[in-house]
Amino acid sequence: MDAVRATGLDKRYGTTTAVDGVDLAVAPGQVRGLLGPNGAGKTTLLRMLFGLIHPDAGSVELLGRPLDGLGGGALEEVGGFVEEPAFYPYLSGRANLTLLARLDAGPSATAVERALARVGLERRGEDRVAGYSTGMRQRLGLAAALLRSPRLLLLDEPTSGLDPGGTRTVAALVRELATEGVAVLLCSHQIGALERVCDAYTVLREGRVVWDGSAAELVAQAPASAYALATSDDEQALRIAAEQVGVRAGRSTRGELALAVHEGCLDAFVFALGDARVAIRRLDLLVSPLEAMFFALTSDGAPLAELEPVELAETVLAGAER
Amino acid sequence: MSTLAPRAAAEQSSLPLGGEDPIWNAFRTELQKLGAQLTSRLLAVICIAGPFAFAAVLKAQSGTPSDALFGAWVHSSGFAISLVILGFAGTWGFPLIAGLLGGDLFASEDRHGTWKTILTRSCTRTDLYAGKLLAAGALAVALTLLLAVSSVLAGVLLVGAHSLVDLSGVLIPPGRLLGLTLLSWLLCLLGMMAYTSVAILFSVATRNGIIGVLGPLLVALLTQLLDLIGRGVGVHLLLIGSAFDGWHGLFTTHPFYGPLLISSLVSVAWIAACVTTSWRILRRRDFLATTVSRAPDWRTPVRIVALATALLAVLALLANVGPAGDTAHRLSAAIGEEFNNVTLLQQQLIGRRVPAGAKLDVLPACNRRAAKAVGPGDWNCTLYVYLPQAHSVPFQQTSVEYDVSLEYNGCYKAQSPPAFIGGPTMLDAHGHSVTNPLYIVYGCFNTL
Repeated sequence: MDAVRATGLDKRYGTTTAVDGVDLAVAPGQVRGLLGPNGAGKTTLLRMLFGLIHPDAGSVELLGRPLDGLGGGALEEVGGFVEEPAFYPYLSGRANLTLLARLDAGPSATAVERALARVGLERRGEDRVAGYSTGMRQRLGLAAALLRSPRLLLLDEPTSGLDPGGTRTVAALVRELATEGVAVLLCSHQIGALERVCDAYTVLREGRVVWDGSAAELVAQAPASAYALATSDDEQALRIAAEQVGVRAGRSTRGELALAVHEGCLDAFVFALGDARVAIRRLDLLVSPLEAMFFALTSDGAPLAELEPVELAETVLAGAER
Repeated sequence: MSTLAPRAAAEQSSLPLGGEDPIWNAFRTELQKLGAQLTSRLLAVICIAGPFAFAAVLKAQSGTPSDALFGAWVHSSGFAISLVILGFAGTWGFPLIAGLLGGDLFASEDRHGTWKTILTRSCTRTDLYAGKLLAAGALAVALTLLLAVSSVLAGVLLVGAHSLVDLSGVLIPPGRLLGLTLLSWLLCLLGMMAYTSVAILFSVATRNGIIGVLGPLLVALLTQLLDLIGRGVGVHLLLIGSAFDGWHGLFTTHPFYGPLLISSLVSVAWIAACVTTSWRILRRRDFLATTVSRAPDWRTPVRIVALATALLAVLALLANVGPAGDTAHRLSAAIGEEFNNVTLLQQQLIGRRVPAGAKLDVLPACNRRAAKAVGPGDWNCTLYVYLPQAHSVPFQQTSVEYDVSLEYNGCYKAQSPPAFIGGPTMLDAHGHSVTNPLYIVYGCFNTL
């Protein structure tokens, strides 16, 4: 039984289609990344899964229970948040969790303390939420999600506002929960953060699912990754790249080398450089397979596979900056 | 003991924070939130301390709020203070409390962006709505009762538990007065709940706390304006304000319950309409954005003002429809009987013996000034009193003029120039200065 099973979800606002016939499934123990550019319908979809928005068509089952649009029983053992977590600013973090625990009926005061400790807020629990930083609110949101011992987590940008250490902690926490059998739907525009934790991805564009599959399938289907390269002899490196299968190289406007490398072709190129006694001084991944796939699926411009390496890197990076 | 206590604490902390019933859980949650807010605490303080401050200010000065029902008696009976406060509360106090309690209850979730936080827990929208409704209702009842008890205590402690002249001119003993006063406060609870429902409706519909708070006050203002015009009883009885008039019938020699019954039904209808509408709005709502824009939106207030104006115009047109409640016949009958009673009371106060069943021969004649003799406004009543005498002319006629300010609900304040009946105070048989019962006369008659 899937933890999430959404079928044929539609949502329209006047003439605008926010979500168009979306099917989505998340298995227990699976971490599924939900990707899409701004306005793709990710948040609307997440809100529909939480019962905050009534779909115009389609159905949602969470942990085998149909969602009737009024929340409640169907959301038992479902944790998470949509957009940035919100709390009552005039209450302390602990009081906010106590209040939510009461609404859930199940969790105890001990569970509240445990949840606070798990996100590192045990010492700030008595402080009013009004004084919390964005990162602390994010942590409190996670604590609220964990409070009810969820079997399904729906998380929207869980690492937003967190420092690098906090981001790593959240990633580790998500993986840990997944190994315990918790299904996780992770919505983020920080693709790098998703790449390390997701088993599967669903990519949305203009309200529709444009790609859905496992992480392995995505890597296999991804267009070339982009790298920045610095060597002891760049001209020689360019010549070697031209002879390699699946590798394209060029020089950026700043004179740096940029590579477009298809999956599995990098090793041969590196060995060839070594054989030619060209030392690699720097090899930075500019665009990962997931990022390349994401932008390939969601960009309006020329297919990325047809771009020159430099253009590929610059196009993708420009897209990422947007 | 030392080992049992930590174990008990540990067991306590491992118990679920919520109970089995989700509505009860939502109710407790809302109470916790309301209790933590400054507005609720401030309201509680005002409801406790306000009546004492009011009574203290009155005690420190010789003036009286004589325009309010029983206002001329605030120096004579503590219960008059409670009833004057009840009158003020019915006009503005209850709408304000209801607005502050219910007006921000739902809109604050929009302001803090917390709908998504609470709606993604185990409670359904129905549970949360019911919990909020019950919490607002419970606090509204609690604050009303607090105000009732506090006002009675303030009056009794600062002025004294003395008897009071009722709305027919008869003295009510303190024991019965206490019962009637507390009952009057209780009878206003339905009206208070109706105003709270209005506040909740405004809060849900506009998602704006300010409009939610002002909503009941707007309805109260509309009621006040309508009360000034129109002679028909129909429209007045359909307004929430009528719920705060029902108790007047208890303070007459021949109690009348018609207005009380109808206003109670009207309050229930308002509650049902507001609760049903607000629930339907909330049930169908899509929770889209995280926060409501704080940029001032002039369209919503303008729409509300336009709607209120249109409603007021329609109601004003309807205000003359239906039978007239205030008629010369009803006013004359009420004031004639009351004048008889207060005259006898005055005689008793100055030490004259009044035989049981004594009655003056009074012929009242009331007319509305510069208008048709129906409806609220300024009236003039002449009371012709026939005194028996042992001469050829068996009766001596004397007349007393009263300026009467009559309200839509059949309640009036009648005042006569001191030349006729003496000043506001007089000396009783023991030489004490007491309120002259003839100087200002309050009365109420049944408008149905």
